[in-house]
Amino acid sequence: MSSPLPDDHASTWPRNIYLVARREMLIRLRSRVFIATTVVMVVLVAGSVLVASYLQEGTPSQPAAVNVGFSGGSQALEPSFKSVAAALGETVNVTSLPDAATGKSQVEAGSLDMAVSGSATAPTAVVSNSLPGMVEIALDAAAEDARMAAFGLTPEAITSITAGVPFEPVQPTGSASPLNEGAFVGLAVGLILFTALGSAGSQVAQGVVEEKATRIMEILLATVRPSELLAGKVLGIGLVALLQLAMEAAAALLTNAFAHVVSIPALGIVEVGLYFSWFVLGFLLYAAAHATVAALVSRPEQVAGATAPVTIVLLGSFVCSLNLFLRIPTSPLTTVLSIVPPLAPTLMPMGIAEGIAEPWQVGVAMGLTIATIAGEFWLAGRIYANSAIHTGARMGFSDALTGRQSD
Amino acid sequence: MAAASLMAVMILSRRRGVKTGDTVDTREWDVTETNQRRLEIDAISKRYGETVAVDELSFDVLAGELFGFVGRNGAGKTTTMRIVLGVVAADRGEVRWDGRPLDFKTRRRIGYMPEERGLYPKMRVAEQLRYLGELHVMTRQAAAAAALNWLERFDLAERRNAELQSLSLGNQQRIQLAAALVFSPEVLVLDEPFAGLDPVAVDVLTDVLRERARAGVAVIFSSHELELVERICDRVGIIDHGRLVAIGSVDDLRRGGPERLWVDAPAAGEDWLRNVPGATIVQEQGSRRLVELAPDGNDQDVLQAALRTGPVREFQSAEQSLVDIFRDVAGGARP
Repeated sequence: MSSPLPDDHASTWPRNIYLVARREMLIRLRSRVFIATTVVMVVLVAGSVLVASYLQEGTPSQPAAVNVGFSGGSQALEPSFKSVAAALGETVNVTSLPDAATGKSQVEAGSLDMAVSGSATAPTAVVSNSLPGMVEIALDAAAEDARMAAFGLTPEAITSITAGVPFEPVQPTGSASPLNEGAFVGLAVGLILFTALGSAGSQVAQGVVEEKATRIMEILLATVRPSELLAGKVLGIGLVALLQLAMEAAAALLTNAFAHVVSIPALGIVEVGLYFSWFVLGFLLYAAAHATVAALVSRPEQVAGATAPVTIVLLGSFVCSLNLFLRIPTSPLTTVLSIVPPLAPTLMPMGIAEGIAEPWQVGVAMGLTIATIAGEFWLAGRIYANSAIHTGARMGFSDALTGRQSD
Repeated sequence: MAAASLMAVMILSRRRGVKTGDTVDTREWDVTETNQRRLEIDAISKRYGETVAVDELSFDVLAGELFGFVGRNGAGKTTTMRIVLGVVAADRGEVRWDGRPLDFKTRRRIGYMPEERGLYPKMRVAEQLRYLGELHVMTRQAAAAAALNWLERFDLAERRNAELQSLSLGNQQRIQLAAALVFSPEVLVLDEPFAGLDPVAVDVLTDVLRERARAGVAVIFSSHELELVERICDRVGIIDHGRLVAIGSVDDLRRGGPERLWVDAPAAGEDWLRNVPGATIVQEQGSRRLVELAPDGNDQDVLQAALRTGPVREFQSAEQSLVDIFRDVAGGARP
């Protein structure tokens, strides 16, 4: 009846992990909960971008242009006024008026923000209440230039007199530099990791306990090694979480492409690869930790309590990484902690984004994280196998590790 | 069967007064010279704290044999089966299949139905069986075909796309059995496979187990249904307090027990057997008495004593049931 494959464990462990991961994916992708949450999240993300776009249109980022009219001799100030106003960041529409009275009536009517009359060296202005202060400064500056010209100064002399003092910003040693665009990407990696693990970590833990609670693991352990079972589970659930994130990200990016709400920083392939690698490593590190603690309990209602320490470590790592990075990004403490596994997945992407992390530090951090993940799977597998027939109260860590049972 | 001749040793042991709880060395009876493949459980022991679950337990199950494993609750049946499957590690001893110690690779050839049933409640039935088949190194196509085959056999093909949790408990039990059978194992270890089955399903499973045994599979199952075990098993092992206290075919076990006679002598008084050495009345049903003979007892002396009281309407050998044998060797309570 059967057509067995080569019965060689060395060649079957990748297949076992694949089979377990495939099952986890199929079950989740098919579940109504997954479909419903994905649809809701995609709609929410796209909707949020559209709402942001609508709000941006309602409150323009560029201030409205200021309408200014000049009459009589003051019209000579127009070029200088426009130039200074532009330098001060104000957009002005300048028009010529037949006389001062027309200007005043237009200001009163709201069609002008400022009506300038009089001579170039002694102008007077009628202004609306909402006139930006910078526009007044621009008019003062234009009038000063006209007065200096009236005293016979050349344009070069005037430029020399009105030239500002150059200020050179210097970063005090030890303090953080302002974040660049890439640094936010590093922060985003940590935030996405934290968000993804919020649900996926709990799913991994629930999946582990489900197999214990339904007792199927007694059958599974006769054919799959515990570490293979857990690796497959984490991989399957992780891929589904990644797919869900990708769909949400695609919804956000596509909607943004139409709505132009934010400018997406341009990242190179290497950078994207590095950030993605750290996301995957961080996910595996914390998902495996969820699996390890979940193996200690045997009932679904015990999962939340068992996984709480992992959630606290994850949250603590994220907050700690953020503080270290913002306050003392180049200190030896930050450098060392960015290499150590609990903090590496959140701290290292920030360091990479900011250009602080050396390649060797990234390499060592990755190596240590991968070794820790392998150790977690081994430990979780051992606990899983030793606590396979344990039911009731949560099993002690040392008992689960050594296989001692008291019943 | 070769084991039958070995039973004589055990019977003799019992005649010599081997008590319940004493270790019975089944290897003494084993015919290891045959080339038949066998599951060898060799002196395994397991303790949980101060509790001894299995104590120097040894017996073999031959390929092609249906072996019934009976004992009271907590006698050590489930622990033994879990040790065979590697779910629990033995403190001492070894389990071998085909002469080689069981390892992870070999255990993949064992179909297992644990005492505590367990499959994925939300997984579709056919997918679940296919998945388990694939984990037992079957190809996807072969596993799918085998899954459908067993679903048809258990009359559940129509429910192949249903989630397990939507099936009745009896049908879930059938799926559990299919899960143990789907990859055509060389050894079947079934812990209480008949529990919870309706009579039709019992018949189907009985046929399946017999068929698997005929195909050369070594089948060991535990059960509290002693009449069923008596009816279908080639051999039976009785375990008590973690030790094997009897093993052999039911006929052999009967021969190993004390000889019993049904005697119906309506005129016999209470003391009609007083002068017959080695004869004791163990049960009465109206005028019928069940007389047990000690090794030095003589059935003809009993007959003579009965005839002396008047007419004798019945005088025949009483065949012990497995229940009687079980009570005899495992402390009296039904398993």
